[in-house]
Amino acid sequence: MTTGVPGVVETIEAHGETTLVVDPARIVEACRHLRDEEGFNELVDLSGVDYLGWGAKGVAGYIGTAQGRDLNATGSQGFQRVPDPMPKRFAVVYHLLRVSESPARLRLKAWLDDGEEIDTVLPVWPAADWYEREAYDMYGIVFRGHPNLVRILMPDEWEGFPLRKDYPLGGEPVRFSGER
Amino acid sequence: MAIAKRLPLVSDRPAAKAGLRSERTLWPDRGPGVFEQELESIEDALLITTVEKAVAWAQSNSVWPDTFGLACCAIEMMSIVSSRYDIARFGMERFSSSPRQADLLIVSGRVTHKMAPPLRQVYDQMLEPKWVIAMGACASSGGMFNNYTVLQGVDKIVPVDIHVPGCPPRPEALMEGIVRLHEKIRAGVPPAYEIRGVAE
Amino acid sequence: MTVVPETRIYEGTRIPSPCPTKLVVDPAEHDLADILTVNFGPNHPSTHGVLRLIVDLDGEHVAGIEAVVGYLHTGFEKNMEAKTYWKGITYPERIDYLSFQSNELVFVLAIEKLLALETPEKAVWMRMCLSELSRIHSHLVWLGTSALELGAISMFWYAFRERDLLLDLFEMVTGVRMHTRYFQVGGLAEDIPEGFYDAARAFSRHMPHAVDDYEGILDRNGIWLRRTKGIGLLSAEDALALGQSGPMARASGIDWDLRRNEPYLAYDQVDFEVPVYPNGDVYDRYKVHMDEMRQSARIVAQCVSRLEELRGAPWIADDRKVVLPPREELHTSMESLIHHFKIVTEGYLVPEGEVYVANESARGECGCYLVSDGGPKPWRVKFRAPSFAALQATATCVRGTAVADLVAVAGSLDPVMGDVDR
Repeated sequence: MTTGVPGVVETIEAHGETTLVVDPARIVEACRHLRDEEGFNELVDLSGVDYLGWGAKGVAGYIGTAQGRDLNATGSQGFQRVPDPMPKRFAVVYHLLRVSESPARLRLKAWLDDGEEIDTVLPVWPAADWYEREAYDMYGIVFRGHPNLVRILMPDEWEGFPLRKDYPLGGEPVRFSGER
Repeated sequence: MAIAKRLPLVSDRPAAKAGLRSERTLWPDRGPGVFEQELESIEDALLITTVEKAVAWAQSNSVWPDTFGLACCAIEMMSIVSSRYDIARFGMERFSSSPRQADLLIVSGRVTHKMAPPLRQVYDQMLEPKWVIAMGACASSGGMFNNYTVLQGVDKIVPVDIHVPGCPPRPEALMEGIVRLHEKIRAGVPPAYEIRGVAE
Repeated sequence: MTVVPETRIYEGTRIPSPCPTKLVVDPAEHDLADILTVNFGPNHPSTHGVLRLIVDLDGEHVAGIEAVVGYLHTGFEKNMEAKTYWKGITYPERIDYLSFQSNELVFVLAIEKLLALETPEKAVWMRMCLSELSRIHSHLVWLGTSALELGAISMFWYAFRERDLLLDLFEMVTGVRMHTRYFQVGGLAEDIPEGFYDAARAFSRHMPHAVDDYEGILDRNGIWLRRTKGIGLLSAEDALALGQSGPMARASGIDWDLRRNEPYLAYDQVDFEVPVYPNGDVYDRYKVHMDEMRQSARIVAQCVSRLEELRGAPWIADDRKVVLPPREELHTSMESLIHHFKIVTEGYLVPEGEVYVANESARGECGCYLVSDGGPKPWRVKFRAPSFAALQATATCVRGTAVADLVAVAGSLDPVMGDVDR
C-alpha cells in the first residue's frame, strides 16, 4: 500500500506502524491517491509537532556531568543514541484509517520550516477542518486554501502560538501561605 | 480597593439596653457561643426575633444554585442532585439556568481565560445577595494546571465565599461546603462581595 | 454485515461547503431579513459543558450554525510535556472526564508500546474490566443528561442511581470515585481487593435490569420517539468523511468497533456483540448506547470470572527500570532504593520514537500520538479526541431541523468539552 503514492520521500516502519514522509507540496495529491486508490476513507487525526531543540538537551542520569548525560557513553544506562536531528522544525502528521473488512492504518508526515505553508487536505477529507485550525492555533502552521483558518481553542485575540517549544508554559509561581 | 466593613460593636446595638453583654465571635468552636445563647434568652424573654435572623433562615433554606458546570467537577455536582446525595433536602434542587433567578454560583471546573468573561458576566447578572462556591482544586487555585490558559483560582475575578478542595471533591465534600455556607448565612456573615473583593 | 453499508440514508452529501463545520444561511432559501442570530452561550442548561453555538434561525428552523469551542482549553498537551511519564498519567483522565479510564489507558498503552513492555495477564483483564465500567459510566451520564434535556427528567435520577453503584466499585478498587489513576505503565497501581469480585459480578447482573428500566421509560414513549426519530441524520459516507467513530458511526450503519476489528487488551478473548443501527438518527444513537451498556455488563462479568482465576497473580510487570519496586524492598535492597528514587525524581526513560495507539472509548476512537526523544518527559503528546470529531458533524446533522431538535442532536453527538478542547 505504500507503493505508488505520489510525493513519498521516505517510508519508515517502526513499532508495527508505517509512516510515509511526504513532500508538503504534493500532500493533497498523496492524500487523494490514498483515499481513492488505497481506500483510506477516514482521517483520524491531524497534528503538528515542533522539533525545536530536539536532541539538544542532555538527559541527566546515572552517569552525568554538569551539562547533562552523554547518551553515547558506555554503561550510561540510556537508550542507544542521541536522537537523530530532524530535517525541519515543524512536522504535520496525518493519521489515516481504512474502515473496511481489511483495516489498515497509516501515518503521513510532512516537514515544514517556520513560515512555510502547506495545502489543506479539506477537499479530500472534510474532517480536517478543525484539526487544521487547531494546528494553526497551537503552532502557527498556515494551511493554504482553508476556508476558515482562525483560532479555535485560544481566545480570538490571543498572541503567540502556545504549543511551540519557545512559548513558555506560563502559569504563576506558587506562593506559600505565610509569604506576602 | 479595600471593601472591608467594620462589624458593629456590642455597644452600638439597641439590644444592649435589653441586657446583651457579650460580643459575637465567629466560629468559636462551630457551636453556639455565649453570644448566641444570650441572644436567644433575651429573645425568648421578649418574645421577638430579629428580622435579619428570620431572613437569614429563609435564605439559607432555599439557596438556588446556578448551572455553571464546566468540567469534571460538574459531574460530581450533578451527582449531589441524584438520589443518594439528595440536595433537595436543603431546598436546593432547583438549579436555575438563568442567573437572574440564582443565588449561588458553584463554579465547578477549570476556568480558562476564554471562559473568564462569561463567568464574570454571569456573576454580574445575579441579583444580590449572591454567594460563590469555588468547587474543586481548579476553581480554587488552578489545580494541577499551572499554565498559560487556566485561571489560577476563580477568586481572581469573582469574590468567593467557600472553597471546596478535591479533584473532584466527593459529593459529600461539596455538601459540607454547602452546609457550611448555610451556617455562614445563618450566622449573619455577609456574602463575600461585601467583606472582600477579588484576590490579586 | 459489511463494514460500510450500501444502503443510503440520503442521497449525496449534506456536509456544508466550503467550510464543513459552518452552515451558512442560503439566501435562496431564506430571506436574510428574517434571520435571527441566537447565541447558545457557553453557559447554558444543556449540560454538555461549555459549548457555544451561534445559530441563525429562520422562525423555528435552523438556517445556519457554527460551533465555537475552546472555552475549556486546559493546555493538557503542553503541561504533559513538562511532566515525567509517571506524573503525567494523572492528566489524560481529565480530558474526557466521563470515560476517564479510556484516556488513561490509551496513554499508558502508548508508553508501553514504545517501551515494548509486556503487562501481566491480570493487569490486562482488569484494565479491560475497568474500561468497560468506564464505558457504562459514560453512557449513564450521557443518558441521564440527554434525556433530561429532552424533557424526560426522571431519567436523570435513574441513571445516576446506577452511576453511584458503579462509582462505589471504582472507590473500592482505587480509593477514589472519579479520575482514579489506577493504570500504571506495566500494569496496575495496586492489587485488586477481595470484595471487588462479588460486587462487580452483582453489578453486572443488575445492570441489564437497569437498562430494561430505562428502555421501559423511553423506548416506546411517544414523545421520545417523535423527538428523536428522523432527527439529525448522518449518512455513512458523511460519517466517514467527517472522521466519526464509535456510537456516531455505528448508528449510521458502519460496522466498526476497535474492540473487535483491531483488538487490544484481551478483547479477542471475550464474547460480546457490537450494536449497529442503520438509520443515522438520534434514536439510533440512543439505541446504540443502550445496547452497548448491556454488552459492557456482559464483558464485565466475563472479566470478573477470569480475574477470580488469577487471584494472587502479579498485577504489574517485573521491569524495575520502569516500575516502582514494592515498598518492603526499599528497606533491604540498595538497588531498589536507587531505582525508586530515580524513577520518581528523574523518571524512567522511554526510547525514542513515535507511536499512535487507539482504543474504543465510550465516544469513539480515542487515540494517543506520543513522540518521545529518549528522555524522561514526552516530547509531544496528542490526544485524538472523539468528541472533537463528533462536534464537527454538528453542521451536517442539524440541516433542516428546528431549534428544539438542535438540543436533541447536540446531545446525541455526545460531546464532552474537556475532550474537545483539551
